[in-house]
Amino acid sequence: MSCHDAGKSSTMTLMNTTDTSHIRNFSIVAHIDHGKSTISDRILELTNTVEERDMEAQLLDTMDIERERGITIKSNAVRVMYTADDGETYQFNLIDTPGHVDFTYEVSRSLAACEGAVLVVDATQGVEAQTVSNANLAMNADLDIVPAINKIDLPSAHPDEVKLEIEDELAIPADDAVCVSGKTGEGIHDLLEAIVFLISPPHGDPSAPLKALILDSYFDEYRGVVATVRVFDGGIKKGDQLQMMQAGHAFLVDGVGVKRPAETLVGELSVGEVGFVVTGLKDPEAVRVGDTLTGALRPTAEPLPGYREAKPMVYTGIFPIDNKDYENLRDALEKLHVNDPSLTWSPETSVALGFGFRVGFLGLLHMEVVKERLEREFDLDLIATSPSVDYHVYKTDGTMLEVRSPQDLPDVTRIDHIEEPYLKAKVIVPPEYTGAVMQLSIEHRGIMTDMIHLSQKSVEMRFDIPLAELILDFFDQLKSRTKGYASLDYEFADYRPSELVKLDILLSGDEVDALSFIVHKDKAYGLARGLCDKLKEIIPRQLFEVPIQGAIGNKIIARSTVKARRKDVLAKCYGGDISRKRKLLEKQKEGKKRMKAIGSVEVPQEAFLAILKVED
Amino acid sequence: MAVEALYLHIPFCRARCAYCDFDTCALDPAALKLEATRYLAALERRIDEFGARGMLASVRTVYIGGGTPTVLGERLPGLVRRVRAWCAPEEFTCEANPESFHEELAGSLATSGVTRISLGVQSLEDDELSAIGRIHTATVALEAIELARREGFSVSCDLMCGLPGQHAASWRRTLERALAAHPDHISVYPLTVEAGTPLANRVARNPSLLPDEDFQADCMEVARSLCEGAGLAPYEVASYARPGHACRHNIAYWSGVSYLGLGRSAASMMGAGELCDMASLIPGASPSQGDARARFVQADGRAHTFEFEFLSEREALAEDLMLAMRMTAGAPPELIGRAQDLFGARFDQVVEMALAEGLACIDSAAGALVPTARGWLMGNELYGLMWGLAEA
Repeated sequence: MSCHDAGKSSTMTLMNTTDTSHIRNFSIVAHIDHGKSTISDRILELTNTVEERDMEAQLLDTMDIERERGITIKSNAVRVMYTADDGETYQFNLIDTPGHVDFTYEVSRSLAACEGAVLVVDATQGVEAQTVSNANLAMNADLDIVPAINKIDLPSAHPDEVKLEIEDELAIPADDAVCVSGKTGEGIHDLLEAIVFLISPPHGDPSAPLKALILDSYFDEYRGVVATVRVFDGGIKKGDQLQMMQAGHAFLVDGVGVKRPAETLVGELSVGEVGFVVTGLKDPEAVRVGDTLTGALRPTAEPLPGYREAKPMVYTGIFPIDNKDYENLRDALEKLHVNDPSLTWSPETSVALGFGFRVGFLGLLHMEVVKERLEREFDLDLIATSPSVDYHVYKTDGTMLEVRSPQDLPDVTRIDHIEEPYLKAKVIVPPEYTGAVMQLSIEHRGIMTDMIHLSQKSVEMRFDIPLAELILDFFDQLKSRTKGYASLDYEFADYRPSELVKLDILLSGDEVDALSFIVHKDKAYGLARGLCDKLKEIIPRQLFEVPIQGAIGNKIIARSTVKARRKDVLAKCYGGDISRKRKLLEKQKEGKKRMKAIGSVEVPQEAFLAILKVED
Repeated sequence: MAVEALYLHIPFCRARCAYCDFDTCALDPAALKLEATRYLAALERRIDEFGARGMLASVRTVYIGGGTPTVLGERLPGLVRRVRAWCAPEEFTCEANPESFHEELAGSLATSGVTRISLGVQSLEDDELSAIGRIHTATVALEAIELARREGFSVSCDLMCGLPGQHAASWRRTLERALAAHPDHISVYPLTVEAGTPLANRVARNPSLLPDEDFQADCMEVARSLCEGAGLAPYEVASYARPGHACRHNIAYWSGVSYLGLGRSAASMMGAGELCDMASLIPGASPSQGDARARFVQADGRAHTFEFEFLSEREALAEDLMLAMRMTAGAPPELIGRAQDLFGARFDQVVEMALAEGLACIDSAAGALVPTARGWLMGNELYGLMWGLAEA
């Protein structure tokens, strides 16, 4: 047993021990807005992990985008020391998990690092859809569940009814449910005690070969890839020679530590503990979420189960508005990639947009976040084009072509048939919404395969649905048509033949390749009309009339027109107005820089994603 | 080059119009008397300071604007005489609002040496006038035009299109009635909604009040055709005049002529060297090497503070081209020659683009580059091309 006090101001020991009975690894799960972040913040505060004056809301979400949108994108693990009523000090590792369907795999790996989960339920709202889906995820991962009923300070709180709901709808005993208020701090102490008593300590063999799970990784310019890990067997010290069992890379440990939430180096990460490992590796793909870390000289026999290579679900073109930024964009992608190894890209050329990249994402939220980070953190003006999936195009010559961009689709005469990826989707929803979900599924070419009544208040509906349908607005539509109750989970099923066509968009008579997309033939007419109308709203009036046409092959199937702008002149321009006038012209010019000139037509960035805004 | 145009600003009104974002304050007669006395004392002192140093000797045009200069009543002719003590301008304009342009004032302005009256008519429909906060009626406005003509002034009236409640027929009526009163000059301004004005607040609540660009374009085209029919030729984006009645003072603004503005918020433009010559009267003036042109605005009533902007030779010439494109006569051969010398092939490219987009054409008789009808209504496109030349 060894003790290290690595934090400068910390008066507590960080307790490295091979005795796992004082360790609790858990995650906090909740329906959106039920108070997960507030409770996390409060735990950090009450255990003196963070001084009150340093508190800021959503402390575990470190990216601006996470805080702004109130979502968690990156996993995070923070160590908290808690001295319980029994006089013993416990090591809590609080593992924050992403909260979006795009990151289902990452969530599953984070949960695999835990023995327990605190299930937060809003005392005024009760059990909601994500409460159910998160509880299911936690139970599937065999976690001990501590229900916490939050917001009991509100006058409309009804904790007793919520307890019944937890028992009825989730089949989780709620006798031990803790009533808390993340806002006032009431009950947080009881919650910490419940974590000690209800969540099992980790088990593992300290003398066995190292077996550690990689939950996440991030890149540090000086230290290379830093991996967040959970040790299942053995231990990790600086200087150890380790290897990744799936990716195969070996490295010398440059340091180990924990987050409190600032990084603090420790002497060892021992069995049952969660912390970070400085790998020194420069290739972010060497460190993969779900991979097993083991000793290079004395490896463990079997890797941990559940590893999956993160495969992109959706591809879009990303182009710099100013072609001079192409190299900067490549550098920026490489820099983001080091913290987000799931990002893939390859060069793409467009007649309309010049040089750019076809980038693969886990989902549309992932795409939005990446694009926003590229623009903000690297000061780039970018255009993202319509999302596409990976189609399998079988040609008449018998060969198969993987097509991720509409531009790569061969001429129709050379296509025998096209197959598209299908998903097995699982929607959990209260019974009153099954009709709405079925309708939505039909609109998106889904085929219902099963419907299971989980309880009186929840139904599980299973569909086979084309991925291409799901990546557009399916999730948002599902949320809105079920008033937020539905939860969605999906996995890849198989490839199936579909009658797909390429819809082209012409501006002023010229086809704009970057606006093309692949669509089921039954939906082509409706989408073409919707898209022409949407583009008419988005493209500003300019010097000349701009006809917008939707076409399949040579056949025009939809049309709209942006009328020519007739007046753009500041009529009053005397002595004092001239400086102001020039500034106005400069502002107009700046505005134009954020648009892309396609032929003589100035097209705003959002036009290229107009397909996402077309309502059926 | 010496200062050839002088502008005096009178920042007072009886009531503020809903669309106005100019520097002016609306005061009741008692408060106005007090404020105006103080303000005029400072302004006249400035006139004397410049005059005594011979800096107004070459002034050829004077323009008293506001605000509403005519709210000064009989003190206004006094101001005119003060200016006339130092120079002999050929054109001396005074802005006037119909309700404060009385017979007596008109007479004394004529006697003191004002040659031109610019009347803020705006509309000849009473409901449109009250909707924008004007305090005169159509009848009063027509009487004011008649009075100004009787006194022998060159008469201009300002009209606005795109007003709340205005429609094609009412606009045509306003134009026809205005032209029937035989003004020498008409200015046509499309209403713009400026941030922070009462109109902007109303538009925020009711977006249908936002002037429709297509309607304003129609209005400008109708105005052009009716004015031309009545013998008033267009000579700038917003300006129409009978032969010999184009406003020489305004043309100075658009053709790179130096001008001096006195009074709060008044703007000046002159060569950097000229500014150095009068630096003792313009606190804070310090052009650097390479500055060709100075623009500055008086920030307070006492002329203690000025805001400066300096333009390089490229910027000054690009600005001249941009402003020349506002005028029907366009850029004369002399200006084109200077642009070719300074900008080289870049200038030719810009001209090519302007021609290709139908914004400008060559007037081969005059050897000038002139705006087309499209370059008139879509002027910002054309001006943007010209101003783009300033970039190195």
